[in-house]
Amino acid sequence: MRTSRVRQIWTALVVATLLITVTQAGAQEKSRLDVVLERGKLIVVTLTTVPPFAFNDDKGQLVGFDIDIARLIAQALFKDPSKVEFVSVTAEGRWPAIESGRADMGVGGTTTYPDRALRVAFTRPFIDSGISVLVSKKSGIKSLADLNQDKFTVANLNNPQMADRAKRFFPKTKVLTFDTPSAQFLAVRSGRANALQIDTPSAEYWAAQNKDEMEVLPGLLGASQNNGVFLKPGDFKWWLWLDTAVTEMRTGSWYPQYTEIYQKWFGRNPPAQKFYLHP
Amino acid sequence: MSFARWVAIYGPTYVTGLGWTAFIALWAAVGTIVWGCVLLLIRLSAARWPARAVDAYVQLFRNTPVLLPIYVIYFGFPLIGLQWPAVVCGGVALILQNGAYVSEILRGSLKAIDRVQFDAAKSIGLTPWNAFRKVVLPQVLVYSIPSLGNQVVLLLKDTSLLSAISVTELTMQAKLLTEQTGAAYESFIVVALLYLLLVSGTEVAFRATHRAVRWQ
Repeated sequence: MRTSRVRQIWTALVVATLLITVTQAGAQEKSRLDVVLERGKLIVVTLTTVPPFAFNDDKGQLVGFDIDIARLIAQALFKDPSKVEFVSVTAEGRWPAIESGRADMGVGGTTTYPDRALRVAFTRPFIDSGISVLVSKKSGIKSLADLNQDKFTVANLNNPQMADRAKRFFPKTKVLTFDTPSAQFLAVRSGRANALQIDTPSAEYWAAQNKDEMEVLPGLLGASQNNGVFLKPGDFKWWLWLDTAVTEMRTGSWYPQYTEIYQKWFGRNPPAQKFYLHP
Repeated sequence: MSFARWVAIYGPTYVTGLGWTAFIALWAAVGTIVWGCVLLLIRLSAARWPARAVDAYVQLFRNTPVLLPIYVIYFGFPLIGLQWPAVVCGGVALILQNGAYVSEILRGSLKAIDRVQFDAAKSIGLTPWNAFRKVVLPQVLVYSIPSLGNQVVLLLKDTSLLSAISVTELTMQAKLLTEQTGAAYESFIVVALLYLLLVSGTEVAFRATHRAVRWQ
């Protein structure tokens, strides 16, 4: 008697599990684009302490160039820039947020690297970037060569590209590793570190905000880089739509809106729409 | 990548993190219990204002998240010329907060001890300080072992917050591995298992100690 009831319960559980698996398998075939359109809201994962890309203003509102780009994408999807929900994470939290499907896409000063593209897909870049070094003026560091001494400490973000660059450009300098750009900045401000490396626009923003204390070293750590929108790989329809949206912003029909945002955050025009068109 | 291969490749990284976590937890736990005893003594002292100050201290630390003292000591103290290493800053912050809890735990146990024992100790010629040190305090500590064990477990888990100030303990290693490999689930599941191991070990140790020293 008792065994048969146990068996009944087991059967019910197995059937339920199968049903869930089948429904989920069905859901997986549906593109994120359709899910987003049905939901009527775009969910975007982002860092929230990388000015001017994404940060909280004096009123505590999340603002920035990347935030406006996400809103422009929402405008294209829903004709309403406010239909975005932002998920705020630390640096390494960006990848699981995408992998788990918690967010539809991500922005936030995120550089495209070939090794990163193995686990998340990137659209083509919506802004050029590069990595600069921000130093405290007190340290007296005037060049990358100055920085390369064991009496100095540099604050890194916890991604391997930062560690690689530190080894390549200032191997003698001591390294501290943090999980948010704001902690890197705080480390330099409090004297824990003498310098930090970060996307050029962020370095310039902080230097402008703290003219007496900090400055950006001339030159980039390596090459000019690309910051793109990232998303879960394998969803062709969603990737193609996002990539089209980014292309249209930088070189096509939405160039005027893109220019407006660019002007707002950087006070100058973005790169020419097409290299063969005269500005 | 299979799970076994993951452990084989990144095992050493975890061992480093585990070492730091255990090291910090160990000295912070000892510091916490000592600091808790000191706070208790001040509170029991006859003077009124020191006792009140301890009261305020306990309130302050019980009602604020521990990340706050961690940030204040690590990022704030350099501004007044105190550049302690990150491990020290984090450990001190953990001691300051958990010490507040421990002093309350000890105070609770103290209440369970009959006042008659003070008088008995005095009647056989012990000074008040010796009566406290030799008769009361050992009993207080033994009564407190289970609760102290709990507090040490909480402290052990709070060491993960030190990842915010560049200490390469377990959680930080998981964060670095996540960034390096993108395998967030693998890296954090291993860390969860390691914390489980550490915490279970701590619990077993405290239970064994309690069994060994308590009065039947």
